[in-house]
Amino acid sequence: MRAQIFVFALSIVICAKAQAELKWEQTTIELHPTPADKQAIGHFKYQNTGDKSVHFKSVRTSCGCTAAQTQKDEVPPGDKGEITATFNIGDRTGTQVKTVTVETDDPASTTSVLTLKAVIPQQLAITPTFVFWQQGEAPNRKTIGVSAAKDFPVKHLKVASSSPDFEAKVSEAGNGQFKISVQPKDTKQPIAATLTIQPEGSPKTFYATARVTTAPAINSR
Amino acid sequence: MKSALVCQTLVLAALALVPGIGEALYFHDKISWRSSIPASEMVSVEQARAWGDSAIWVDARPDEDFAHDHVPGAFSLNEDRWNALLPQFLAAWSPSKKVVVYCSSLNCNASREVARRLRDEAQLKNVFVLEGGWEEWLKKK
Amino acid sequence: MTSATFNLKPQTSNILWRIVDLIVGGIFIYAGALKMFDPVRFASDIDNYKILPWTIGVALAFYVPWLEIFCGIALVLRFLYRGGLSILTALVLVFTLATVAAKVRGLDITCGCFGHASQHWSFPAHIATNLAILAALLALCFQAAAKRKAAH
Repeated sequence: MRAQIFVFALSIVICAKAQAELKWEQTTIELHPTPADKQAIGHFKYQNTGDKSVHFKSVRTSCGCTAAQTQKDEVPPGDKGEITATFNIGDRTGTQVKTVTVETDDPASTTSVLTLKAVIPQQLAITPTFVFWQQGEAPNRKTIGVSAAKDFPVKHLKVASSSPDFEAKVSEAGNGQFKISVQPKDTKQPIAATLTIQPEGSPKTFYATARVTTAPAINSR
Repeated sequence: MKSALVCQTLVLAALALVPGIGEALYFHDKISWRSSIPASEMVSVEQARAWGDSAIWVDARPDEDFAHDHVPGAFSLNEDRWNALLPQFLAAWSPSKKVVVYCSSLNCNASREVARRLRDEAQLKNVFVLEGGWEEWLKKK
Repeated sequence: MTSATFNLKPQTSNILWRIVDLIVGGIFIYAGALKMFDPVRFASDIDNYKILPWTIGVALAFYVPWLEIFCGIALVLRFLYRGGLSILTALVLVFTLATVAAKVRGLDITCGCFGHASQHWSFPAHIATNLAILAALLALCFQAAAKRKAAH
């Protein structure tokens, strides 16, 4: 019986609240930037529901591409605020997950991990983004597949080659699928071209690279 | 009395093995069994250096870090300016090269992401991630 | 240490102990289930403690959750009860020691005990929870031993 009381008492101790307490409205924010956005910004709101001030000791992000800022270092009881996390999208694709680690002097939660999830819309999926021929290889056509995402219907695709040494032609396979056929004029010299892929009506430009690579040296294994 | 306890413990331990093994078989190809990162992806500083000229180095760190200092001859290729930086790298690449991607240390993710994109999008073979990153390179100078 | 000392009917005392069984068993079934659904995550959580080699960690990531579930069920159904109790007590002891060791070595870990549901807890909260569960388990052990003694 004594043991039962002990267990019960222990559970009360665990439940007792600490004096200061920083409560986050959300610790995970999912963002859906548009193709035109260069940044995705998450506002992590908090409130000090305790009766003692909470101080921010450090705010660190998981990568250099995300900057996080607090408006103030000290949060008096009852006060609200936010940590703004700015994620520079750059040329990233897909679902990017970046975290912000916040350290405070709040004994109930000294370290909080805020998660920013940015789902970057992918208008076109280009496979592969690089085609090459080795010097001396037969200059046969190689194909690059382009697939438009379901929520970004593309009617036409314009492809331009940066060099006359490579010819690029587009054919439509229907249903948002395209094929880009690439061919070098010859593979005698190492040449290169950047293919600019422009979906009709979209401000965003996509790229692929075509090259003739140098032949391996005779003595290399 | 003791033997009953041992017997019960053994029975429970054995019972739990059954679904445990079942789950392991189910996840068999979804998890790397030998190291926390697929072994074939990582390369040590010593090994990468030993490749000499057949290695082509890629710095996955932000522009400022690259500008400050980088592996001699390395190409800057990061996700902030992927489209602008990729052609330069591809111009130096050839199928016989081994690509060694690094970022700041063992724990940064950028090198793995860049390596993944080189494999998946550009479909390059022989793409490796430098174990320990730039930090390890400096130590082993 | 019998219920007669506190003027409680044996039935009431039994019911209270059964409730502790159910709570503790339930906690382990829940914790085990959480880990069972994401063994890849659990494997990397174990690896973060830097105590075991990766391969062993992976093997444990598949095994331990089921061990917790079965032992939790043992507590709830009172079947293979003492075996379940001993295994769970050993598990919590090991978890607690590993957590303390990690803190001492300055490692930044997410406990992994409750899957990533517990990743926001602070170190004191983790230790306190582990100790509370350990205390409950030990209490159940002593109670089971006392009952066996009384029965003999």
